[in-house]
Order: sequence, then C-alpha cells, then structure tokens
Amino acid sequence: MSTPALLDPSDKQAASNQWAVETHGLTKRFGQNVAVNDVELLVPRGCAFGYLGPNGAGKTTLIRVLLGLTHADAGTMSLLGYPVPKRRGAALARVGAIVDEPRFHGHLTGRQNLRILAAAREHAARDRVGPSLERVGLAHRADDKVSKYSMGMRQRLGVAACLLGDPQLLILDEPMNGLDPAGMYEMRDMILSLVAEGRTVVLSSHLLDEVERTCDAVAIVDRGHIIRQGPISELLAGASLGLQVECSEPSRARGLLESTNVGAHIETGDQGLGITLPAGTERDVIAEINRVLVEGGIAVYRLQQVQASLESWFLQVTSRLGASE
Amino acid sequence: MIATRFMELRKRRGLMIALVLVNIGIPTIFLTVRLIAHAVAPKSYGPAGGYDIFTNLVAGVMYVFGFIVAATLGCTAGSVDLTEGMFRHLVVTGRSRLALYLARIPAGLGIVVPLVAIGFTVVCTVCVAAAPTKLYYEGAVVPAGLSRTGFLAWAGENPTYVLCDLPGPVPGNLACPNGSSGGGPIIRGGPSSGGSGQPSAAVLKAAAIENAARDYPGYAATFRSPSVPLMIDSGLWLELEAIIGFIVGLGLASLMGQRTVPVVLMIVLELILTPIFSTAVIPHVINLQRGVVGLAMAHLEPGGLPLAFGGNSRGSGVSQLVPESTAVAVCVVLAWLVGWTVLGAWRMMTRDA
Repeated sequence: MSTPALLDPSDKQAASNQWAVETHGLTKRFGQNVAVNDVELLVPRGCAFGYLGPNGAGKTTLIRVLLGLTHADAGTMSLLGYPVPKRRGAALARVGAIVDEPRFHGHLTGRQNLRILAAAREHAARDRVGPSLERVGLAHRADDKVSKYSMGMRQRLGVAACLLGDPQLLILDEPMNGLDPAGMYEMRDMILSLVAEGRTVVLSSHLLDEVERTCDAVAIVDRGHIIRQGPISELLAGASLGLQVECSEPSRARGLLESTNVGAHIETGDQGLGITLPAGTERDVIAEINRVLVEGGIAVYRLQQVQASLESWFLQVTSRLGASE
Repeated sequence: MIATRFMELRKRRGLMIALVLVNIGIPTIFLTVRLIAHAVAPKSYGPAGGYDIFTNLVAGVMYVFGFIVAATLGCTAGSVDLTEGMFRHLVVTGRSRLALYLARIPAGLGIVVPLVAIGFTVVCTVCVAAAPTKLYYEGAVVPAGLSRTGFLAWAGENPTYVLCDLPGPVPGNLACPNGSSGGGPIIRGGPSSGGSGQPSAAVLKAAAIENAARDYPGYAATFRSPSVPLMIDSGLWLELEAIIGFIVGLGLASLMGQRTVPVVLMIVLELILTPIFSTAVIPHVINLQRGVVGLAMAHLEPGGLPLAFGGNSRGSGVSQLVPESTAVAVCVVLAWLVGWTVLGAWRMMTRDA
C-alpha cells in the first residue's frame, strides 16, 4: 500500500487520527422509519471490523451515508480522519467500497468496467486495473463481458474495483452473498491479506459465523441502533457459559440439577443435557454439576464446555433486548 | 473520463447500429436506389441528386430522425449508469458528480456529430455529383443560374417557349407548339402579325418579358444542385438539431432516472407537440409556444429549405409558423441547452446513489 504525499496540514492531521471510521450521533430517516439511529461508531485502523445485524437493521444504509450515496439527517462522521461530506473527495480517494450486489455494465468486459472507474480516480489508478484483476483472480476472464460473469465473479470484480484507489479503508457490504463455500474461503483469505497489509476492512454481514472467522472487532446493530461494539474477544467474555452433558436418564438428571442452586438454564435431549450458565460462572460450578449428577446415580459419559460463539452471543444479546422491550 | 464514457456508449452495439442506420444508412440506401434506377432507366427515373432531393432529405428525414436518434443516445447517456448499477461505483470514487455528468456531453457529442456529418456528406456528394444536367422550372427546361437581367433577356429571345411553358398570362390566339392556344387574358396592342391573327413578335416578346419578371422569384429559388453556402448552413443546422436532441435527452433522462419514458417524451416533442405548437397560434400561450425549441429551430432553418412544419414550397410559400424573431429563437435554443444541462446535473448531484 503506497503512502500518499501529505501536503496539507489537515492531511497530516487526518493521517494521525486513529480511527478509520468515526461517527457521532449519525441519523438517517426515510419518512417515519429511522434507518440509522444516533449511531456512535468507532472503527480502529488496521483491523477487520464486522458490522453485524439482522436484515433491515440499517447496515447498508449506514454504509451508504458514510460513502455519500445518501445524505445524513443528523450527526457527524469522518473517514480516515477526513470529515465527510466536507472533505469527501480526499476521504474517498483512499476508500474502496462494495454496496449491495456489485453491478456493472454488462455489455463491457471486466477490464473495461474497471477502466471507467479508474478514469474517475487519480491517474495512477489506471495502472492498477491489471494488478487488481490478478489480485482477485479474474485476470483470465478480464476480457469477457460482465454479462457472462457468475455472481461470485461479479463479487470479485467489485473487490477489484475497490482496489483501484489503493485504499486504506475498504467497506464491503455483504461480500459473501451468493458465494459458494470455496468463494467464501477465498473472500475471507483476501480480506485477511488486505488487513495484513495494514488496510482497514469494514465488513457488513448477517453471516455471524463468517464475521467471527474474519474480523477482530464488531459492532452489532439492531433497528438502526448500535447495541454493542468492541473486540470480539472482549464481547464474548461477557457471554454465557455452555455445557454439553452426555448422560443416562436426561430427564432425571435435569430434575436433579433444577433442585440445586447452580442457576443454570437446562434443555434435555435424547443423549443428554444442554446447560447454559450465566456469564462469569466459576469453574467450581461445573465441578458441582458433575458431583450432583454422579451422586444422584446418573452415569456421566461426557461433560464438555462449549465455546461461546458470536452467533450464540448475538442471539443472547438481541433476545435480552427483545425481552426488555 | 470522457474517453471511457465515449467507449461505454460506443460499445452499445444496438444503439450504434440505430444511429448509423438513421443518420447514414437511410439516406445512403435511398440515394443508392435512385442512382441505380436512373442508371438502369434514365427516362423513367430522374437523376438521383439535385436540389429538390437535397432539401427533402435534409428538412425531412435527417432533421427529424437525426433529432430522435440523438435524443435516444442522450437518454441512454443520462440514465444507464443508474439503471445498470454503475452510478454508485462512480460516486464512491469521490469524483465530483458534476464532473461525472459533464463528461457525458463531449463523449456523446463525439458520437452524434460525426455520424450526422458523415450522413450529410453522403447526401451532399450525391446531390451535387448526380444533380440534373438541366434545370427544370415548372416542368420546363430553363438555363440555370441566370441573373434577373439574364433571365429576362433569355425570355425575350424565347418568347413562345416562355409564354407556352412557363406560368403567366398568354396573348390570345397564340399557337403553342404543344397544341395549346394559350388561354390567358388577351393582350391588346401592337401591330398585328398578319392575317393569321397571331400576336406580333413585339407583343410576344413584351409579354414573355413581363411573365419572366413575374416568374423570376420562383426561378431564382430553383437550383440544379444545392449551393455551397446552403450546404454549409444546412449541415450546421442539422448538427445543432442533433446537439439539442442529445443535450435535452441527457438532461431529461438524468432528471427522471430512466431511459424509456424520456425517449418517448422526446419523440412526442418532435413529432407531435412541435408541429402543433409551431403552426397553430393558441391565444394566451403564444409566448409559451415561442419557447418550444422546435419552433426556434424552424425559424433558424436555412432559407433554401422547405419551411419546417409549415408553409409550402421554397421561396414562394407563406410561412405558417408562429412568428418569432431570430434573436428570440437563438435565446430559446441557448435556454434549452443550458437549462436541461443544469436540470440534469442538479438531479445527478442530489440523487441518492
């Protein structure tokens, strides 16, 4: 990644800003519907950042507001330290983005489409068309018309378009959409390599599993409002503890545990129990569960702690929110 | 950016075929058929070129259809980025939306203007090279390019021909070679020509000169082939019409965010609204009528062409166009060019991408 020449003091100030994306009180309404609701978002530089939420949560709308595709109704925002929209040109010169499904002129080849986009950027972008296509693995199909491309190829062409500006920040909206497992693997690999080069990648998705594998930090959005954000490890530290117990007589085992004060949520299955303990539960509680079962005459074949996943944590957080409403 | 925009438009094969077909193909095919027909059967089919063919092609086919295809290209240029999903990619580059809009103008004109020029060159070439060798005026063969004095002198030298074959009153009892005995008012005076009752030579000469003087304006507007000044003026007029079609189409499609409806509206403007508003004076809205760009262009039409949408033959017909001065016509054209550019650019700058 090349470092642009810094001539303006404001450029130096922007470069020293630690946040790749920064928003305060950002709001966007469509009539009565508040799609982005007072969003305070801080995306640190040089990481893969996931922007998670269910369909209709406002993820794409926030991205569109950040990129100037639609205007904000309230709040402030900056990209790479440049206030937007005041210094939108300087900000977007080093930003690449995919919003929704990437679409191109079908009657033109992949290479020709990129030339059109490169022509709208700085002169050096024209020399990056070939390398961008190679980077995304489309060099061998670059001179085929886009109308002949598959969905995955169009996604990759979209990423190639992002790379034309040698971006410090990439914003990818649902980049895994329409990709097969191999395509998802390649996309994930590409994102990690971009982060390894020192770039920041903001990834918006509803595929929690993919985000967990790819990102270092996330923000969870629901109904336009960010409900949690931070490094994944810190967020999951507050997650409930799960236990899988394979045992005989699951129903009686459940009854034994419910009569104790371990404070667990218990579900029975054919082969055993699924136990959810509150966040911060001490290891001694696990030992106590085992003791209660064994002393109760239950044969315990397997007792396994289940790693908290982003998905399970997300469901917990959003279900708690739903319950509080 | 202009070069890539040009490339993007040029690669639209169907659209380019339509542009080439209308601007170049139709006149070329028409003139080729005439050339072949005249070569095969010259007595049945007149020369392929000439003044009349030139004026009819320019003021008819090329004027109207050139506008429509230019407008179609403009509508395409103004909307396809949005409809094909490239618009947001372009906005995300950070490039000014105004610059993105303005780049389309030279790109599109770089296609339309040469095509109109090529088609027009074909028409000029054939109309000059294959022009009739004789000048026909009111069905009679007359020498071409005579001044008023020369025409009257020729009439004096050929009085019987002039009186019998050209329009105008004829002395009574004049025996015409084609069997006609005249039929106009009897011209009295002068010594009789003798016992046959035919008018004297002096009477015939005077009558012929008088008719020629009356016929001269019509003759002066008749040409074997288009003159160079007329060709230059007509070419520039056609180019201006195409430019207007493109710019207005670009602005309208950008404003509406689509292609099909603007194309239909442009066709309606050219084929329906302009002829109606140009010739029928509607009380209380005449100033609005004067604002129609088609009327303005009709008033800027080169003098040698048939009057667009009104009037009849060249020179001798009375214009039925809604009156408008040249200065106003120029202002109207400029207002349309600037106004639609501003509207289209404004919409592109404010639209959600």
